[in-house]
Amino acid sequence: MKRREFLGRAGAVGTLGMAGGLSAPALLSSVGRAYAAGDDIPVGLLFSLTGAVAVVEHTLHDAALMAIEEINAAGGVHGKQLRPIIEDPASDPATYADRARRLMIRDKCVSVFGSYTSSSRQAVLPIAEQRNNLYWYPTLYEGRECSRNIMYGGALANQQQDILIPWLAENFGSRFYMVGNNYVYPKEENNYCKTLLKVLDGEVVHEEYVPMGHSDFSSVINRIRAEEPDVIFSTLVGDSDVAFARQYHAAELDPAKLPVCSLTRSEVEVKAIGGEAAAGHFSSAPYFMGHESAENEKFVEAYKSRFGADEVTHFVSEAAYFQVYQFKAALEKLDPSNITPTGIRDAAVGMTMTAPQGEILIDANLHTHLWPKIGQWQSDGQAKVIVQSEERVAPKPYAAYPGQECTGAGLVKS
Amino acid sequence: MDVVLNQIFAGLSFASILLIIALGLAIIYGTMGVINLAHGEFVMLGAYATWALQTHLGLGVVTALPLVFLAVAVVGWVIEKVIVQRLYTRPLDTILATWGIGIILQQAVRMGIGAESKFVKGPEWLSGNIEIGALVMSNYRIFVIFLSIMIVTGTWLLMTRTEFGMKLRAVIQNRGISECYGVEAKKVYSLTFAYGAGLAGIAGALITPLFSTIPTMGTGLVVDAFLVVIVGGLGSLVGTAAAAMLIGEVTALFSIVINDTLGRIAVLAGIILLIRFRPRGLFPADTRR
Amino acid sequence: MNSKLSYDIIGLGLFGAVILFGVPAFFSYDGFELNTFARYLSLAIVSMALALSWGTAGLLNLGQAATFGMGSYAMAMHLKLKASGDNLPDFMGWNNVEALPALWVPFNSLTFTLLAGLLIPAAVGGLIATFMFRARIAGVFVAVITLAFLVAFQLLVIEQQGFTGGQNGLTGLAQLELFGWTVDIYATSFYYLVGGCLMAALIFGLYLTHSKFGLVLRAIREDAERTRYFGYNVANYQTLIFCISAGLAGLAGMLYALVLEFASPTYMSVSFSLAIVIWCAVGGRESVLAAAMGAILVNLAEGRLSDVFVEGWHMMLGVLFVAVVMFMPRGIYGVIVDAGRALRRRGGSEEFAETPSFDTPLNTKQES
Repeated sequence: MKRREFLGRAGAVGTLGMAGGLSAPALLSSVGRAYAAGDDIPVGLLFSLTGAVAVVEHTLHDAALMAIEEINAAGGVHGKQLRPIIEDPASDPATYADRARRLMIRDKCVSVFGSYTSSSRQAVLPIAEQRNNLYWYPTLYEGRECSRNIMYGGALANQQQDILIPWLAENFGSRFYMVGNNYVYPKEENNYCKTLLKVLDGEVVHEEYVPMGHSDFSSVINRIRAEEPDVIFSTLVGDSDVAFARQYHAAELDPAKLPVCSLTRSEVEVKAIGGEAAAGHFSSAPYFMGHESAENEKFVEAYKSRFGADEVTHFVSEAAYFQVYQFKAALEKLDPSNITPTGIRDAAVGMTMTAPQGEILIDANLHTHLWPKIGQWQSDGQAKVIVQSEERVAPKPYAAYPGQECTGAGLVKS
Repeated sequence: MDVVLNQIFAGLSFASILLIIALGLAIIYGTMGVINLAHGEFVMLGAYATWALQTHLGLGVVTALPLVFLAVAVVGWVIEKVIVQRLYTRPLDTILATWGIGIILQQAVRMGIGAESKFVKGPEWLSGNIEIGALVMSNYRIFVIFLSIMIVTGTWLLMTRTEFGMKLRAVIQNRGISECYGVEAKKVYSLTFAYGAGLAGIAGALITPLFSTIPTMGTGLVVDAFLVVIVGGLGSLVGTAAAAMLIGEVTALFSIVINDTLGRIAVLAGIILLIRFRPRGLFPADTRR
Repeated sequence: MNSKLSYDIIGLGLFGAVILFGVPAFFSYDGFELNTFARYLSLAIVSMALALSWGTAGLLNLGQAATFGMGSYAMAMHLKLKASGDNLPDFMGWNNVEALPALWVPFNSLTFTLLAGLLIPAAVGGLIATFMFRARIAGVFVAVITLAFLVAFQLLVIEQQGFTGGQNGLTGLAQLELFGWTVDIYATSFYYLVGGCLMAALIFGLYLTHSKFGLVLRAIREDAERTRYFGYNVANYQTLIFCISAGLAGLAGMLYALVLEFASPTYMSVSFSLAIVIWCAVGGRESVLAAAMGAILVNLAEGRLSDVFVEGWHMMLGVLFVAVVMFMPRGIYGVIVDAGRALRRRGGSEEFAETPSFDTPLNTKQES
C-alpha cells in the first residue's frame, strides 16, 4: 500500500470532519436558565422576512417591532427593556419549528410573537406546548383549536361570518360560489358558511379549491360565468387573491351585480391588486385602516412615519401590534422577579384594552373578543366601513361543531 | 358547450403566456444545452422592470416592452459572460449554477425593492371584452395571444432569414466546424442567451397586469416552461409552440372535467409518459452536434 | 486490500468520532443543541443517499425529496394514530372522513411503519427507475422526469387532505416508542439514535461504493454505452442504486419527522429537493462521507449565519452555490484531495498518474 497517498486521503477526509466539529465553537451561543433573569426581557419575533409569505409577514413583523420600540421608549416594563430576538423562518414550516425551539429553549423568551399561515402555527404548536411557553398568533384562522399556549389575536369564523353572510344574502342573494386555496382554512370557513346558509335557505352553487400560489383563473372565471351565482365567497390568500382580483376585473364582471366577498383580502392585497380592480368588492374584518378612532389614528400615523407614507396597516398587522401591548399589560400585573409564560397567560385572561379597532377583551379560551366590520373597497385602496357590529363578538373556535366548546379549562365536549 | 368554448380560449390564453416564457428557455436549451433554472427570475425581472418604468417614467405596459426586453437581455448577457459561459462542458452543473443565480436575483430584488407585491396597471385601451354569443374573450388576453404569435414568427425569421440566425444554426449543428469557418461561437452563445433572457422579460411584462408581482413569482413558472421545452423537443420552435398549446389546452380542459389540482397532476403524469416514450419530444430537430 | 478503502475507513472513523463523541461533549450534552444537531444529521443521510445515485452512478435525481417525504409521512402516520388513540385523527374529521382509510390501518403497527418507511420509498424509487432506465433515459431527462414526479406527488399529497392533512401536514404527533424505550427528542440517547443511523448508512454507502457493484456504477457514469458492451445490464444496476438511494432517503425522512415532530408537504418541495443537491455538491458528490458533511456544514452555517445576516443570508447561499459549481465542481472534498496531491507533488515523487477527474462532463451525449 502506498503510505503517502494513504495519509493524504485520510488527512483530507479527517480535515473535513474536523472542520465540521471545530467550526462550531465560534458559533456557539450561551444558554440561559431562568426566564427574564437578566436586565431585560427577551421576546421572540418569528415572522418570515424571506420567502413566499414574507409579503404579509414583514408587515406583521414591522407592526410588532414598532410596538416593542414604543414600549421601550416609554421606559419598558418594570424598568426593564423588552429585548426583541428576531428570527427569520423563511416561509418554511420546518424552519419555523427550528427557530421556535431556539427562541423558546435556547434564548428563554418569555413569549414569542409570530406567523401568518396555519401550517406555521401548527409547526410551532407542539414546541410551545411542551415547553409551556406562550405563542402570540395575530392572524385570523380556522378555529377548532384550543391550545393553552397560544394567544389568538385574529378573528374566528363566527367573528367574520355571523355579521357578513345574512347581510350578503339580504343585499345580493344567497346563491354562493365558493373559491379558496386548497388548505384547511378555506375548507373550515366554507363549512361554517354552509351552516349559516342552511338557516337562510341559501345554496352553494359551486365550491372549489385551487393550489397555493395558483395564478391563472381563467377557468374559474368561466365557471363563474356559467353558474351565475349571486355572490363570490372567497378565501383565496396572498398572490392567488391578487391574481384572481385582477383577472376578475379584466373580465369585466361587475361588482355591483356580482361582488367578491373575501375573508382574507386586506389593505396589503388591495395595494397589489390596485384600487380600481378592487373597488366595489367587500371584505369582512375586525379592522380596516380607514376605521375612525383616536387609537387608530395614532397607530396609522406612527406606522407611516416609521416605515413610509405609502405603507398600509391591516387587520392582521393591527393584531400583531395590539398583542404586544396586551403582553405588556399582562407583564405589568406580574411580580418582576417571577415572570413565566404561563404567568403572563393567566394575567392576560379577562383583560380589556382599547385597540385601534375598539375595546377588545381576552377570553378565558385565549381567543379575543373583537368588533366585526364589513368594508367596501374604494378606488383609493381603502375600505369604507359599511356595516359595523353593534356589540363586541365573543370568539367561538368550535362554532361549526355543536357540542364542543373551548373554555379556560380546555376543550369541553358535551 | 359555452363552457367548453370559453375553456378553449382560456387554454389558449394560458398557452400564449407559457409559450413566451418557454420560447426563451427553448432557444437557450436548444443552442447551448443549458437548463436555465434562473429563467423564472428573468420573468420576474421583466415584471419589476415594467413596474419601475411605469412608476418612475409613467410608461404603459405595452410601450415599456422594448425597454424591458433590452434591460433583461443585458442582465442575461452579463450572467452568460460571467458564469454560464464557463459551464458549457458540464450541462448538468448548469442546472445547479442557474438555480443559485436565481436565488441571488430573487434576493437582490427583495433587498433592493422590497418583498411586498407591486402594482402594475394594465393598458387602458385593452380593457374590456369581445363577446361572441356566450364566448367572452378579454381584449388583453387576445392581445397577448397575438403578441406571442408575433414573437414566435419573429424568432423564426431571426433564426432562418438573418446572418445571425445562420451562424446560430451552424453552431447548434456543429460548434467545432463552425468555428473553423470563422463563426465566433462564444459571441453567438452570449447573444442567444441574452435574447432568451429578453424574451423572458417580455413575458414578465405581459403577465404583470394579470398576476401578482413579487420576488418569488418566477419560481413556479420555470418548471412549467421547462416541461414545455422538453415536450416540444430540442431546439424546435414549432415543437415548443405546439407543446405550449397542448399543455395549455389540456390543463384548461382537465380543469373543468376534474379540478385544477388533479388536472395539473394529470398533465404532469402525461408529460412523464411522453418523455419516457418520446424522449426527443414531439417535434425533434433533425440534428444536434 | 484496496488501498482507497482504508483512507475512507480512516476518514469515517474520524468523522464518527467527531459526531458520536466530539459533538455531544462539545455541546456539554445540552438537549436543545443536540436536537438541532440531530436535525442536521438526518439531513446528512438524505444528502449521502443522493451522493450514491448522483456521485457514483451519475443519475441526478431531483425528486429525492419525494422519497424523503414518504419516509417522514410513514413515521408521522404511525405517531398520529398513536396520539389519536381510539379516535380518528383530528384532521380527518375536519375533512369529513368518516372511517380510518385502509391506507392508514397498517400504520398502527410499529414494525410495519419502520419497514414501510424504508421499503415504500425504495419501491417507488425502483418503479420510476425501471420505467426510466429500461428506455435508456439518461442525463438531463432523468432530472426532468424526477422533477415532474416530485411536483405531481407534492400536489397529490396536498390535494388529498383527508388522508394527508394537506398543506398543514401531520401535526400533533405522539412520542415514538421503540421496543419499550420512549424516544425523547431532547435526550442524548435520541441524538445517538440519529447519529447511529447516519453512521450505519455511511458504512453501507462506503461498502457499496467500494464493492464491484460500485465499480460498475462508476463505469456506467463514465460511459453507459461501453459498460453495456461489456455485457452488464446497465438498467438493472441503475435501478438498484436508485432503490437503495430512495430507501435511505426514506430513513432520513423518518428521522426528520421525529426531530421536528411533524410531517409537512414542504419536505417534498422543489426548493427542498434542490437544497439537498446543493449540500451534496458543496461537500463533494463523489464521496458519501463528504456529501454527508456538506449537509451538516451548510445547515450549520444556515442556522448560525441566518441569525446574523437575516436578509443577506440567502444572497450568500446563492453566491456560495454558484461559486462551488464554478470553481469547486468536486466540492470541498475535491479541493482537499487536490491540495493533498499538490503537497505530495511538492514533496517530490508523484507516484502514479492522476486518477480520472470527475469534472469531465457527466453526460455530454444528448439523445441523438
